Amino acid sequence: MLATDLIYSFAGVALFALGLRAALLHRTLLGRVLSINICGAGIFLVFVALAYRGHDLAPDAVPHALVLTGIVVAVSATALALALGRRLHEAGDE
Amino acid sequence: MVVHLWNLLDLVLAGLVVALGWSAVASSDLKRGVVLFIAFGLLLAIIWARLNAPDLALAEAAIGAGLSGALLLAALRDEPASVGDTGFTQGPVAWATAVFSLVVAVSFAWALLHAHAAGDPIRLADEVIAHLEQSGVSNPVTAVLLNYRAYDTLLELAVLLAAVLGIMAVGPARPTYKPAGPLFGALVTWLVPLLIVTGGYLLWVGAHAPGGAFQAGALLAAAAVLLRLGGYPGAGLPGSLVQRWLLVSGVGVFITVGLLVTVEGRAFLQYSHGWSGMLILLIEIAATLAIATTLALAYIGGRALSSQHDRPEQ
Amino acid sequence: MNNLLIWPIMLPLLAALAAVILPAQVNRIGITAGLASLVAVVLLLSRVATEGPLLLALGGWTPGLGIALRADALSVSLILMVSLVALAAGIYATGYFAKQDDRARFWPLWLLLVSALHALLLSADLFNIYVTLELLGITAVALAAIKAERDAVEAALRYLVVGLLGSLMFLAGVALIYARYGTLDMIALGDSMQPEPAAWVALALMSTGLLIKCALFPLHFWLPPAHANAPAPVSAALSALVVKAAFYLVARFWLDLFDGVVTVDAARLLGLLGAAAVLWGSWQALRAQRLKLLAAYSTVAQLGYLFLFLPLLVMMPPGTARDTAFGALVLLAITHGFAKSALFLSIGVIQQRAGHDRIAELGGTARRLPVTTFTLALAGVALIGLPPSGTFLAKWELLSSAFAAGEWLWVAVVALGSVLAAAYTFRVLGHAFGPGEGVAHVLAWRREELPSLVLALIATVVLGLGAAYVWQFVAPGAFAAEVL
Repeated sequence: MLATDLIYSFAGVALFALGLRAALLHRTLLGRVLSINICGAGIFLVFVALAYRGHDLAPDAVPHALVLTGIVVAVSATALALALGRRLHEAGDE
Repeated sequence: MVVHLWNLLDLVLAGLVVALGWSAVASSDLKRGVVLFIAFGLLLAIIWARLNAPDLALAEAAIGAGLSGALLLAALRDEPASVGDTGFTQGPVAWATAVFSLVVAVSFAWALLHAHAAGDPIRLADEVIAHLEQSGVSNPVTAVLLNYRAYDTLLELAVLLAAVLGIMAVGPARPTYKPAGPLFGALVTWLVPLLIVTGGYLLWVGAHAPGGAFQAGALLAAAAVLLRLGGYPGAGLPGSLVQRWLLVSGVGVFITVGLLVTVEGRAFLQYSHGWSGMLILLIEIAATLAIATTLALAYIGGRALSSQHDRPEQ
Repeated sequence: MNNLLIWPIMLPLLAALAAVILPAQVNRIGITAGLASLVAVVLLLSRVATEGPLLLALGGWTPGLGIALRADALSVSLILMVSLVALAAGIYATGYFAKQDDRARFWPLWLLLVSALHALLLSADLFNIYVTLELLGITAVALAAIKAERDAVEAALRYLVVGLLGSLMFLAGVALIYARYGTLDMIALGDSMQPEPAAWVALALMSTGLLIKCALFPLHFWLPPAHANAPAPVSAALSALVVKAAFYLVARFWLDLFDGVVTVDAARLLGLLGAAAVLWGSWQALRAQRLKLLAAYSTVAQLGYLFLFLPLLVMMPPGTARDTAFGALVLLAITHGFAKSALFLSIGVIQQRAGHDRIAELGGTARRLPVTTFTLALAGVALIGLPPSGTFLAKWELLSSAFAAGEWLWVAVVALGSVLAAAYTFRVLGHAFGPGEGVAHVLAWRREELPSLVLALIATVVLGLGAAYVWQFVAPGAFAAEVL
């Protein structure tokens, strides 16, 4: 097993857990959205780390495609969450 | 375990990315958090490049750091009041959450170690490459996204569509910005065509080099965001009817291609022999336009069309 | 070629695209799509009934490299329920949304929701399920927030955040599975899954994510406000269909995919949470002041019953007893889908006529809206579990299995839950039949009352009398691993 895999996998797990904790504790929507994005990035890191096969071998393209899908889904959800938050903010002023 | 000299750099990068992620969500000051998040995204893009994932690096920089960052910054601007009310839940709930996260982290890491040790490190990598010639493209990531697992990409485009429909249903567009001054205006004049050309290039080259519909679409959307920031209320987008067509074109062309091939008795999305490359390009063109329109509308935040709704201010 | 499997997904999806381009025709597009996909589902059902489970390898690639769709008895029964409920709620929605603007916003998202449900139920690939979960979540949230009022948006936002965390936990599990087994194909995984750390932690992570989406106690807090503040057809879909889809995944994982990994104790934990859900949900429903909140809490409770089945099914050795219990589970899930959607649509009618849904002020409803009151009663019968409803047979089976397994606690919970359900149903009916201003329309009924009536009739009569067919269809194929 490659040390690279290990290092980035653990970094990914750390980010996942940190993001999870922050999402549960943040009181503002923006904070929660940030945390959810970090949490997702952690899982992406785990995926890409396990796709890496060293300097010479081509990486496993399937996790790359999955992460790309994940990035797009994350930005869609972020955009929707922020739009709903804006609506809530406007409704609060009415 | 194979250790390499590069791993020293990896330790630094990994440590840095965790530190950035932590500080982005740990600070009560949301402005700081958002800026740190953008930096986090860029560092992540560098890590993707380090891990031989150039397609991801492009996408992360454009979408993960760029567009997400723009959305978060716009949210900060629109709701300054909420910044004051920041803070975290304190007390026993905070402790319980910390313990819970720790348990999750430890068990996840433990299971991951076992999985790496017990699992076959090749997984699907060789299969992807073995069928690459058949797939019609030579970029393996594009092959996975638009051929082997094309159905996922189809649904993902539907997710984008659903999100933007939800955004448009909930309210009108964000207020626009005042027309750009000379400095920013010049920047916009240079950058927008550059972004469009680069986007087109990435779309074309995605078949055999890093790139593809998502990255291209994101760059086009970035051009629209720039126009919006420069005070153009329409952000360069076409009229309402054309917008609707563009929004549905990604999913629409995908499904059409997928169904047409079934006429020959093939499975859904089983591209005909020799046509794979062309069909993939066709789908990617439609997808790029759809992604660009979707992300631009998502940033604008609502129906941006008639300029009488937009008030140039600030 | 089993391309038939793609139609229930693509028909609503294409219709959603059409609805975006042609906002003036949305009602027609929506109903046509509903009918067309129902036809496709029925065709699918008949083929599965005669040929057994069907598989479609999308793109022609071997599952693993590519994504596969699978239709077996379990998924097809649920898809039939989804199609029928969605059609009925869609018909109701054509009348509910009077303004063109509202309609144009509702239908594309609604059709995307239906497509997501079908896609989830037919998927045989772990990551693909993640994508369908996200599509489902986003459309559900957008629909819940569509009225753009403060309460609805707040509840929808909470639903979104909580749902996203659930999806991410699910994705973490997928990463573990791929790391260990190198494939995302559920059929191949069903054979190769072994009891080991990767499988345990993956199951734990994915289950937690799914339990959030099922609103299983204690992770149910987001559901009542979200379902209560959404427009009536949306509430019907959320309670009857969306949470059911998440439960389907739990059942699929615990009873099929991870069946070599699951322990009875872990399943007992789920059962315990289910028991708590039954009691807590029923109690809160009894105390609710608004009809929609009552219905939402009732969903929390009814889902608890479904979870009570899991430890029993895990404990039982393979055989006819287990197959029968599994059939009962499916019957309960389907009946609840019809009954709950009927309930929410009726509440919608009442709310539109009276302008509110406060239970205490329901007096005179029986005279003003006799058909709707009848529907409420029927739905109540199905929710309590009185004969001849499907629920009665399913609960009876649950009680017998629990008795046989010596699980006295489950027996007590089911009995108490049914009593509480009877209490809150009769409370509502009592008010509805009570005095109040009711212009005595001579047994007139409005078109909008029809869909909910049909749904309620299916729940109480059709599924009750036709339960044997359900059992015949579902039970033998329950844990079949062979696929065409």
